[in-house]
Amino acid sequence: MATGQVESVDQRLLAYRPAPRTLGQTLSTFLDRPFFYIFPVIAVLLFLGVYPFVYNVRNSFREFDVVKGQMESVGWANWERLLHDDRFHGAILTTARYVGTALVLEFALGISIALLLNSGPWLSGLWQSLLILPMVVPPTITARMFGILMNSEFGAISWLLLKLDVIEKQEPLLGGTGKHALTAVMIPEIWQWTPFFVLILLAGMKALPTEPLEAAMVDGASTIQRFFHITLPMLRPMIAVAVLFRLVDLLKAFDYVYILTSGGPGTRTWLMSFDAYQRSFTTIEWGYGSVLALVILVFAILLSNIYVRVFNVGWGNDDGSR
Amino acid sequence: MVAASAAPATARHTDETALHRARVRARLISTALMTLLSAFVAMVFFFPILWWMLASIKTTPEILKAPPSIINFEATLRSIRVVLFNWDPNTSNIRQEGVGAGTFYSIPYLRDSAIIGIGSTLFVLVLSTPAAYALSRFRIRRKKDLTFWILSQRMLPVAAVAFPLNVMFRELGLIDTYRGLILIHAAINAPLAVLLMLSFMDEVPRDLDDAAMVDGASRFRAFLGIVFHYLRGGLMATGVLCFVFSFSEFLLTLVLTQGGIRTVPVASSTFTSSFQNEYGYMAALGTASTLPIFLFILLVQRHLVRGLTLGAVK
Repeated sequence: MATGQVESVDQRLLAYRPAPRTLGQTLSTFLDRPFFYIFPVIAVLLFLGVYPFVYNVRNSFREFDVVKGQMESVGWANWERLLHDDRFHGAILTTARYVGTALVLEFALGISIALLLNSGPWLSGLWQSLLILPMVVPPTITARMFGILMNSEFGAISWLLLKLDVIEKQEPLLGGTGKHALTAVMIPEIWQWTPFFVLILLAGMKALPTEPLEAAMVDGASTIQRFFHITLPMLRPMIAVAVLFRLVDLLKAFDYVYILTSGGPGTRTWLMSFDAYQRSFTTIEWGYGSVLALVILVFAILLSNIYVRVFNVGWGNDDGSR
Repeated sequence: MVAASAAPATARHTDETALHRARVRARLISTALMTLLSAFVAMVFFFPILWWMLASIKTTPEILKAPPSIINFEATLRSIRVVLFNWDPNTSNIRQEGVGAGTFYSIPYLRDSAIIGIGSTLFVLVLSTPAAYALSRFRIRRKKDLTFWILSQRMLPVAAVAFPLNVMFRELGLIDTYRGLILIHAAINAPLAVLLMLSFMDEVPRDLDDAAMVDGASRFRAFLGIVFHYLRGGLMATGVLCFVFSFSEFLLTLVLTQGGIRTVPVASSTFTSSFQNEYGYMAALGTASTLPIFLFILLVQRHLVRGLTLGAVK
């Protein structure tokens, strides 16, 4: 009896043919696929990332011919030109100095201020909120603001530095022979982005377990020993992430230089991205501008990849869910 | 000494009390010093903003004074009137509508920035939230590589894509259009939005979607339910950050417009400083555009660190 029943169920199952799927069902299967959820964003990112890359590669073998008024194929000439383009080589060095100095100063200031705010002052929330504000001022407005503050005749920062004998009257922050020009474009950068380190490192410090510090205190470690041997190593992941983001953004630096110095005086603040911008949009060297764009792209990809590998920065390195 | 007088204490007891008080006093003094130092640091960082805001209600000679005056100065509403209301009784040539450099009436710039900022923020949220859901919930081959690829788009140097995009926009007729700029700003913010929403999404238990689907909801319905019930805070924080970055974006907006659309950063880059009168106008524009942003960002302050690190630090 029992077996007979089972057989009949089996037969019914074998005889089953699915009904033709309705449009709604097709749609709902489609809505179950990850592709549907993720495709739009990939399309937009390809549009931003891949088309420009392909275009730049193609364009790097052509140049705008002023006489004919059109793009002409020039073979590898643009790439050869890169080898003895002193201005761009200078721009690489200037960018390296700019990125390196700003990064070190922002990190040093940032971790000091984070330690200070973490030491439990009254109203620490208020001070932290005030520190957030510089980060959200548009960089162009920041540049305008500091342009006036650093004006040699009436700028408050220039006035202060003159009083403190840091600079002389004939060598102002902006202008003169440009002795301080690179410093001048770094000042708004540091003002705006030191708080970035403060916030991230402060959040890191607050999340640290207290036991190791307490144990070290019991063992009689000094404040400085505790900082260098416990706090700093435990903060390493946060430091790595913060430095990575600043590094890639500093490599893109453009706004302050565009508004404050236009790369000058001479080429003292001539950064890589400003050079590429000049070639493409001011001096109409479209092909060569594409070469520089590719070089900048390669720099950014190489640096951030090496960095991510060396410091093992990861989004979900530890869990397999992503 | 209250304890000592209340009960005849042993010498040892008094010693301990004194020691305890000395400790409390030392801690109090050190906290006070730390507070003073913190206040000083915060004021150093806040000073340029304060000075800039004050400059928008100062007369030109007052702005050009070093050291600057914080309290005692001659106030005027002239800059604010010109910048926000296009009204200046003293000058006749300021009243000119339209584009072109040298127009200080800034409502059009603020409007352009707001349209692009809000439009691109909504667009990028609609694009990125489903992607974050997929990365959080589905099994996808090489998911880690895909996530890293999205992250790497955040590192793309804008200067490297500026010219090709300019060419593309000219061919497609997208120069000086809101839709073109909204698309580009959304693309720039997409990595941030995806990874940040992913970080919020991962905190919502998977059981909630499963429960919804057991109850007969489709996968898509479950997704919508999760987003609108549990991720409102995350959407808000992501939205504010995307808006702020769109509002600040300069280089791409500069090369994808020809004067028809002028966002605040582009407009402020063309304010020349040849006339010192303009300092007040620039300050008024800066103040008017950043005050709302300050309010927004303080509202989502709690999620700021997570947002700035794309979810890597919570």
